[in-house]
Amino acid sequence: MEAMTQSGNAAGEEDLVASEYLTFTLGGEEYAIDILKVQEIRGYEPPTLIANAPAFIKGVINLRGTIVPIVDLRIKFNLGKIEYTPFTVVIILNVAGRVIGAVVDSVSDVISLTRAQIRPAPDFSATFDTKYILGLATVDSRMMIVTDIERLMTSADMELIDSAAA
Amino acid sequence: MAIDMSQFYQVFFDESAEHLAAMEGLLLDLDIENPDPEQLNAIFRAAHSIKGSAGTFGFTDLAETTHILENLLDRIRKQELGLRAEMVDAFLESGDLLRDMLEAHQGRGEVDGAAVEAICARLRQLSTDAQIAAPAAEGNTPLPAVAPKPEVRVFDIQFVPTEVSAKGEGVKNLLAELRSLGELEILSQPDEGVHNVGYWQLRLRGDCGQEAFADQIDFVADNGAWRVLESRQISESEDGAFGFFDDSPGAPEEDAAYGFFAPLDAPVEQNPPAANTQDDGYGFFEPLPVAESSNDVAVSAEEGDGYGFFEPLPATPSEPPVVAEEGDGFGFFAPLPEVVSSPSSPADAPVEQIVEPAAPVAVVAPEKPVAEPRARAAKAASASGAGGDSSIRVSVEKVDQLINLVGELVITQAMLLQTAAQMQENAPDRLVNGLAQLERNTRDLQESVMSIRMLPISFVFSRFPRVVRDLSGKLGKQVELKTSGETTELDKGLIERIADPLTHLIRNSLDHGIELPEKRIAAGKSPVGTITLKAYHQGGNIVIEVGDDGGGLPRNKILAKARERGLQVSDQMTDQEVFNLIFEAGFSTAEQVTDVSGRGVGMDVVRRNIQSMGGRVEIDSMLGVGTRMTVRLPLTLAILDGMSIAVGDQTYILPLSYVIESFQPQTGDIKTLSNQARVIQVRGEYLPVVALHEVFNIKPRAGDFTQGIMVVIDADGIKAALYVDALVGQHQVVIKSLEANYRRVQGISGATIMGDGHVALILDVSAIAGMAKSNVQKAG
Repeated sequence: MEAMTQSGNAAGEEDLVASEYLTFTLGGEEYAIDILKVQEIRGYEPPTLIANAPAFIKGVINLRGTIVPIVDLRIKFNLGKIEYTPFTVVIILNVAGRVIGAVVDSVSDVISLTRAQIRPAPDFSATFDTKYILGLATVDSRMMIVTDIERLMTSADMELIDSAAA
Repeated sequence: MAIDMSQFYQVFFDESAEHLAAMEGLLLDLDIENPDPEQLNAIFRAAHSIKGSAGTFGFTDLAETTHILENLLDRIRKQELGLRAEMVDAFLESGDLLRDMLEAHQGRGEVDGAAVEAICARLRQLSTDAQIAAPAAEGNTPLPAVAPKPEVRVFDIQFVPTEVSAKGEGVKNLLAELRSLGELEILSQPDEGVHNVGYWQLRLRGDCGQEAFADQIDFVADNGAWRVLESRQISESEDGAFGFFDDSPGAPEEDAAYGFFAPLDAPVEQNPPAANTQDDGYGFFEPLPVAESSNDVAVSAEEGDGYGFFEPLPATPSEPPVVAEEGDGFGFFAPLPEVVSSPSSPADAPVEQIVEPAAPVAVVAPEKPVAEPRARAAKAASASGAGGDSSIRVSVEKVDQLINLVGELVITQAMLLQTAAQMQENAPDRLVNGLAQLERNTRDLQESVMSIRMLPISFVFSRFPRVVRDLSGKLGKQVELKTSGETTELDKGLIERIADPLTHLIRNSLDHGIELPEKRIAAGKSPVGTITLKAYHQGGNIVIEVGDDGGGLPRNKILAKARERGLQVSDQMTDQEVFNLIFEAGFSTAEQVTDVSGRGVGMDVVRRNIQSMGGRVEIDSMLGVGTRMTVRLPLTLAILDGMSIAVGDQTYILPLSYVIESFQPQTGDIKTLSNQARVIQVRGEYLPVVALHEVFNIKPRAGDFTQGIMVVIDADGIKAALYVDALVGQHQVVIKSLEANYRRVQGISGATIMGDGHVALILDVSAIAGMAKSNVQKAG
């Protein structure tokens, strides 16, 4: 009984503990990802092409001596206008021990979200794959899609990892 | 304060592995008829060092086995025993087992317990055998007790067992052993309650010498806390009074010196404050009468190898590893020679000296009232000092990190240089000069950093005498191994990976190349075959040759076998092509499958391994004269000589070692096969054409073939013409992994960063040549 109350309390506290999220836009949609997975944000530079890679893999860049693949999430999710300007940003992610760059329309904000603020996403059944979505959050009447970026980037869909087990 | 020993384990493992390697090398060099005492000493020292540190770190299995090994070695060293070939075999075998044990302690592999038992038994037997063989009266050993006399002798045995052996079977086994030697009487023993831990006193009546049991006692006893007094002899009662200690083979003389400190745990915990240790120190003197005269120690000091005294001292690990590596325990003695320098007062010296605020040394020093150690300590100190200066142990990761950083620096420097070049006349002279100097400095820096990873190839070569020795014995062949160029340096990564392929080539030469002695004599050759192992630099490559003067490769047999296996062969093939067939998977011409080779797995693996290192292997052979396998390897895995080529707007790097020539094709040079595959005639040979822009789906700059360049590549015998838009230049590039953050890409082996900071992909020539081949085959 006591244990239960305690765990109940713990869960309640956890609900109140806020984590920071980086939000970015893809087309008209706003996404939020765990800021601890973000290594840095930098401008887009033309990458070196990788032959026979899917279109959303733009190629690889030299990030201070590390070869980093660049994924254009706009192409992957078919959102927004695909154009590369000096203002196009690349979010350098550090997921699953790898460094991966993701091209997005723009980076908007860093926000704090508590667990309680993240609501489960409705089930879209077959039309939309919700397995990378942790939930939806609303801040100042903006809806944000909270994404499990690590799961997304390591998934077989992204074709970034040889044996995509995850 | 307990010291966490586990942090020193890696040092111990490395060190022991080195000692084992050294021991093996020395054993193989040993002239059995007339062994060099220096070498014997060196072998003994290696074994002893392993034992010492294994004991300190609590690896009892290692310590026990080396102990037995050491006993036998010691007797040989002192010329109590003649060296025999079987002993060398036993030593080598036990060396292997010790290596297994080390591996097992590091969590790799398992130890064959039975084998360990067997080798221990064998070593013991060799050392006892010898007792009979050994001259009973060794003139130069003035120790009457040594000579086995038939009469009944009485020994008083006193010892304090280690906790481990007391609680385990150690003491019981010892008692059983002693009972088998004669009549045993237990004079005093510790209470049952404390599990046999404590002071034991036994009396043994028997006709054996004390060497028969001394080493068992030494085993059980805590770090030499034992002694045997031959108290009465039935026939001659008085002269047993001396001769204890130094005559027993099992008594490591060195240990005797500090043996009084029975439970040595104290120094471990209380080190270094000497004040605490002192009290503990005395306590242990009690069971031992003053009769521990200084001349015992003197004798042992002369025989022991200086450091031996102090080695198992638990204080050792508290030293920084660098010191521990070279000097074992003795480093401490250097600053305090005066403590050990009072030969006149052996018995009461300890008390006085201990009181001196003399740091940890006091624990050990008082028991060495002889001048001898002083000199040794000085010597030891200088040795350890020199060792500390000449080399340090650094983890490979640190070196690799350094190499990476320098790689970055080289790239940055190239970028700067390019920027300056773009400024042309506008660049100030001072900037240009500074950049030129920077370029020189970075190059030097890069070279020296790369050289850190370089190791002489003798690291690999040194294992082959053993391979040849074992195998030639097994096959009944007489083979001599000649090596040259052992100092040729090679990247550490390559050293590790070349060992297996080379071992295979040597086994192959031994098994298939060198003939049996009778056959050799019949062919008019010397019955002793020769395998030559040569390493040298050639261009940017390391060349390693494995040659034999055996039968050579039978061309016809290989061709026949290839036909049998359904391979496409013809009699017109060149020798080189025929010989290369032996690298095909599953190919073997051996009539008989032996446990050495002949299963046909192997040569293909050898070739694959060498290729994966960016090298290649070639065979030259002449029937009846011999065979020579030539392995060519790049100097290092981290840097590659590359040719940069342009395809469309992309730049790729083509490893230079695969490039044969390049030329501009003329109209009509390129023909098609079945309207699909293209071929081009180059020097009378039709080569498949691989258009890189097609492979990589890039829009080419030039519309037709005459505007581009054909690069002829040779990837392990498969030739192809690679069509590219232009040749850009030649660079040394630092290889970066593409897989670290991405995945494998077909046709690409890695990536590098160009002078302008862009990434260029490195072509996987073998894969591309393979594509060409399959294209042609599809078309044909």
